[in-house]
Amino acid sequence: MSEPALELTDVRFRHPGATRDALSGATLRMDAGEIVGVVGPNAAGKSTLARLAATLLAPSSGLVRLGGGEARELSRRERAKRVAFLAQDEPGDLPFTAREIALMGRAPHLGLWALEGESDRARARAALEELDAAHLSDRPVSQLSGGERKRVYLARTFAQGAPILVLDEPTDALDLRHQARLVEALRARTRRGGCALLVMHDLSLAGSACDRVVLLDEGKIAAAGTPDEVLRAELLERVYGAALDVFAHPRSGRPLVTVKITPGRA
Amino acid sequence: MTRSAAARAALALAVLVPLLLLAAAAGLSLGAGNASIASALRGVQPDATLVLRLRLPRVLLAAEVGAALSIAGATLQALLRNPLADPFVFGLSGGAAIGAALAVAAGGTVVGTATVAAATWVGLLPAQLAAVLGALAAALLVVALGRSRGQLRPERALLVGVVFNSFASALVLSLEAILAPEKTQAVLLWLSGTLGYETGPVLSAAGVSVLLPALVLTALAGRLNLLALGEEGAAALGIDVEATRLICFVASSAAVGAAVALTGLVGFVGLVVPHGVRLFVGPDHRVVLPASAVAGAAFLVLADAAARILFRGLGAEPPVGAVTAVIGAPLFVFLLRRRA
Repeated sequence: MSEPALELTDVRFRHPGATRDALSGATLRMDAGEIVGVVGPNAAGKSTLARLAATLLAPSSGLVRLGGGEARELSRRERAKRVAFLAQDEPGDLPFTAREIALMGRAPHLGLWALEGESDRARARAALEELDAAHLSDRPVSQLSGGERKRVYLARTFAQGAPILVLDEPTDALDLRHQARLVEALRARTRRGGCALLVMHDLSLAGSACDRVVLLDEGKIAAAGTPDEVLRAELLERVYGAALDVFAHPRSGRPLVTVKITPGRA
Repeated sequence: MTRSAAARAALALAVLVPLLLLAAAAGLSLGAGNASIASALRGVQPDATLVLRLRLPRVLLAAEVGAALSIAGATLQALLRNPLADPFVFGLSGGAAIGAALAVAAGGTVVGTATVAAATWVGLLPAQLAAVLGALAAALLVVALGRSRGQLRPERALLVGVVFNSFASALVLSLEAILAPEKTQAVLLWLSGTLGYETGPVLSAAGVSVLLPALVLTALAGRLNLLALGEEGAAALGIDVEATRLICFVASSAAVGAAVALTGLVGFVGLVVPHGVRLFVGPDHRVVLPASAVAGAAFLVLADAAARILFRGLGAEPPVGAVTAVIGAPLFVFLLRRRA
């Protein structure tokens, strides 16, 4: 078996001063070519798992390996060459243009004076195009809409050129066309040997976009496997504490999850 | 408009350096009495003495101090992610003031003699050394008190800086009360920000203590850009946030310390100049930092020339710190409104 792209072994994390673990004993392996979704209720530990995978948090115990190397033995810069991270709430009020934000993704590859070359600019341009944000290049991100800004920050992670992408709610704020475009772009990257860990709220989208799904509940992995294995009504109802319906998509057979709400009159 | 950062920085400097030279020409020829640079260069008196012996050192000093305060101001605004940060609001100058005032007060005592010895050893004036140390101490204090749960909280650090500055001026005023009258006069003049006539060695020392930090800061300017993404965002791009911050604080403190030691508290330069520069060149610090240094130099040279021209009307020369505040405060409000 080949070396996994990203491997978390029995990883535990507790925030300083907290009384319980944000994540207790998670084990997760992601191979090149995979898109893995992380789902679960609010405060289940999804963002903590994402930050541990992106090596922005060091686990209280357990091991994180990136591309065959132990994360804590790699320099910050070396880790940034292997894994790119999109936060749930990237800053919205920056005066930098979309092009400048996308170019920031090249930072781990630049020298002392941090000056980009033509190839760096080409990569940033290509990343903006991939996410349908090239026409926003000259606009400050503070003037963009939420969805436009999301695409620009996504372009930054694409431009970074890291094989592993860890994206915390990347589809949040994206309209349907751009959700589809993002999934297409991610698939194109995984075909070239990349992989992506996506924190998602939309279970149906997770079911259709991801090869595997990890369901978190109160800091623990409640289930992990193919979308069919994880997105089951009784399991989801127990974890989310909500009445749900799960259907099979008429053509793909992938699970579609909806909340049971009696249609009512206004 | 897809020029690289280096090209944009070169373009900004190509505009600003000639402006600085014009400002220097104005600073050399204008004053209580007019003098011609051309005749000074031919050795005609009294122009030669006036321009080369009296005004040239002062123009150089103004340029050095203006550059130091502006580049430090731009850096602090990036570090604290707050457009209101500047060496003054942030406590650096308060710390430098305490250091320099202590050095003046200690003159003649054992501590004073020791300071003189130490300063001579590193090639600085005692007040200069004390100001640099004071600025560094203030920066460390503000950063230490501005942290919570292991992270620097910019808004907290800024508040600490503001409070510390008030504390520092109170302390300097108290020191002043116990000083001999002639020393009081010196401290008072220095507090209001005055450009004096420094000797060649002092000017070269100040030049080095401005140029070195300026180089370090410009090299780190790309990383300063990434700090705008927040600590996590910068770390995700491979930046060692703590180390970058520490180096930037130390470099800014060194520049401000040297400037404050020579001229006292010249306000508003570090606030107004970077804001004005950003209006023209955008937010990229790889352009903003070098452009601010040159624009700041030009700004203070012109402010000093204005102070000397005012001598004609007022019969006395206002301290240059008063001139920068009188120009700077309304200019800052104007820039703020332009941006909004």
